[in-house]
Amino acid sequence: MEFEFFGSLRGLGIEWASALMLAMLIGLLVTGMPLAFVTLLVALFFALGWFGPMSVPLITSRIYSFVTSYVFVAVPMFVLMASILDRSGIARDLFDAMKLMGSRVRGALGVQTLFVAVMMAAMSGIIGGEVVLLGLLALPQMLRLGYDKSLAIGVCCAGGALGTMIPPSIVLIIYGLIANVSISELFTAAFTPGLMLATFYVLYVLVRARVQPHLAPLPTEEDRVSMSLPRLLVGLALPLGVIVVVLGSIYGGIASVTEAAGLGVVGVVLATLVRGELTLRMLLDAAIQTLSTCGMIVWIGIGASAIIGVYNLMGGNTFVEQLILGISDTPLVILLFMMLILLILGLFLDWVGVALLTMPIFVPIIETLGYNPVWFGVVFAMNMQVSFLSPPFGPAAFYLKSVAPPDISLGDIFSSLLPFIGLQIVALGFLIAFPGIALWPID
Amino acid sequence: MSTIETDATSEDAEVDAKALAHREMPKPPAVSGRFGRVVDALGRVVATFFLISTVIVLYEIVSRYVFGAPTRWAHETTTFLCAIGFLFGGLYALSHDKHIRVVLVYEAVPEAVRRWFDVVISTVGLIAVLFFAYAAWATVERSWFAAGSGQIKLETSGSAFDAPYPALVKGLLFVVVVAMAVQFVIHIVNTLRAARRARRDDA
Repeated sequence: MEFEFFGSLRGLGIEWASALMLAMLIGLLVTGMPLAFVTLLVALFFALGWFGPMSVPLITSRIYSFVTSYVFVAVPMFVLMASILDRSGIARDLFDAMKLMGSRVRGALGVQTLFVAVMMAAMSGIIGGEVVLLGLLALPQMLRLGYDKSLAIGVCCAGGALGTMIPPSIVLIIYGLIANVSISELFTAAFTPGLMLATFYVLYVLVRARVQPHLAPLPTEEDRVSMSLPRLLVGLALPLGVIVVVLGSIYGGIASVTEAAGLGVVGVVLATLVRGELTLRMLLDAAIQTLSTCGMIVWIGIGASAIIGVYNLMGGNTFVEQLILGISDTPLVILLFMMLILLILGLFLDWVGVALLTMPIFVPIIETLGYNPVWFGVVFAMNMQVSFLSPPFGPAAFYLKSVAPPDISLGDIFSSLLPFIGLQIVALGFLIAFPGIALWPID
Repeated sequence: MSTIETDATSEDAEVDAKALAHREMPKPPAVSGRFGRVVDALGRVVATFFLISTVIVLYEIVSRYVFGAPTRWAHETTTFLCAIGFLFGGLYALSHDKHIRVVLVYEAVPEAVRRWFDVVISTVGLIAVLFFAYAAWATVERSWFAAGSGQIKLETSGSAFDAPYPALVKGLLFVVVVAMAVQFVIHIVNTLRAARRARRDDA
């Protein structure tokens, strides 16, 4: 008798099929095979093995609607905006302008760096460029001043990662697409928690500088630049203008998220034009970087959307839902359990993968438990903040390593990040204990 | 125009440029072969679609708010242009080794073993995209050919503008997936060649 593969996996039942799927995913991932192709392969294997060839068009139509959604156009726009921003001197001038902030306070340079990070985060929705910029601008200055290496590294990485917490944020856009909630509401809700996290960082720097003064020496006379008010205003004006255009048009309801992103690109291009930095080559390089980044994000999305589509059709979502709901009668325990899953996945997978693989299953559970999905989006973004810093793959550490002095090892960077990860978890705890931190502007 | 002023600023910017500004995108690694360089060159063209999309978005905002006349084509066209970028971007990332992967084990093993990892990764990747090409072809068949007669009839968006964008995107998905298969084959061949060279050097 000939073995018929199509439909044969059904005999396993959903429990064993889920286990086989997980084993295949992990087994293929550890070889170093790209996540996008791993998920694609496993998805098609199960589509054919569980349902047979007639299920295949369903996968491709899911993929088609994924790549042709208008809201998703906001992603390349925000990436393009950040890529142009990274290539301009806007951040450098902003950093110089911020020197005006009291240089007589211990830790002022660290606070200044965080301030710049927040401003940049309000213009940029991705991680990477910002960490690199802070590593080039702020890290050398802090080290020259005699700052503690760990403190300086931590400020640059944690500050740079804020890009995806403070709106605009690509993490929130992708979440909004999956969870089918308003992206402008997500942006509104994420603002306060993002600032809260940044404030935690600032307080941490100030307190440590106070308790252990040798960690953050005061600037010497020659380092104390005399700053004029006009220079401060000029350095601030362009970034503030861009922030007002992007966030203002979203919050004011004038433009859709995609249009606001387009306006942001125009704003940054105009800013580089005013500064005399605009060249065709710079624009093209930024566009190519956008192509590469979006290609990577979208193909993880394609693979994840395929595998989740197949798994849900197999009844996997109900299976996982019952499994998770079954662990406790208390919603909070279930929520914390999900946080744990997200934190663990975040150690090994990129945020796009985590979002696309877990959110289609988690968001319905959250709604069943009676939580607000907008709030959960902000919680998710906060959770992913941890994944940017946590070893062994925290991307912020790798970005900083690419521009840090050679004597700073990856191990140095990761150990410097531990206190900041602690602060992120505290912030996550606050957000879970007091959902109002996120929801007050939209209720 | 204040040419002098502009010059002064751009000089300033050039000092900065060394560190920040002209971070050019890297070339594809040698293992991607001539095919990788073609993808790289095409990438430069496709990347401009994102710039064009930005201009269209701006045009739509201006025609809506300033002239009170929203366009019928802007939404669909930006979505179409970006979809091309998204799909092609996957091939670009494959040729440039920019796809996210977990390299914990991969980087821990010696180089000779890693080459075998590469062969396995590319072979399994090839199987994945061949599977996918088969799936994508089914979609192409339905969006490009009329049912029954088999004559070419492009699927259109069905909106007021009614462009054949759906058929084109579905067709491109198939083309990109086939190109990915080609790239995987080239990776396998070049990795095996490098392995043989290394063995000969050892001997």
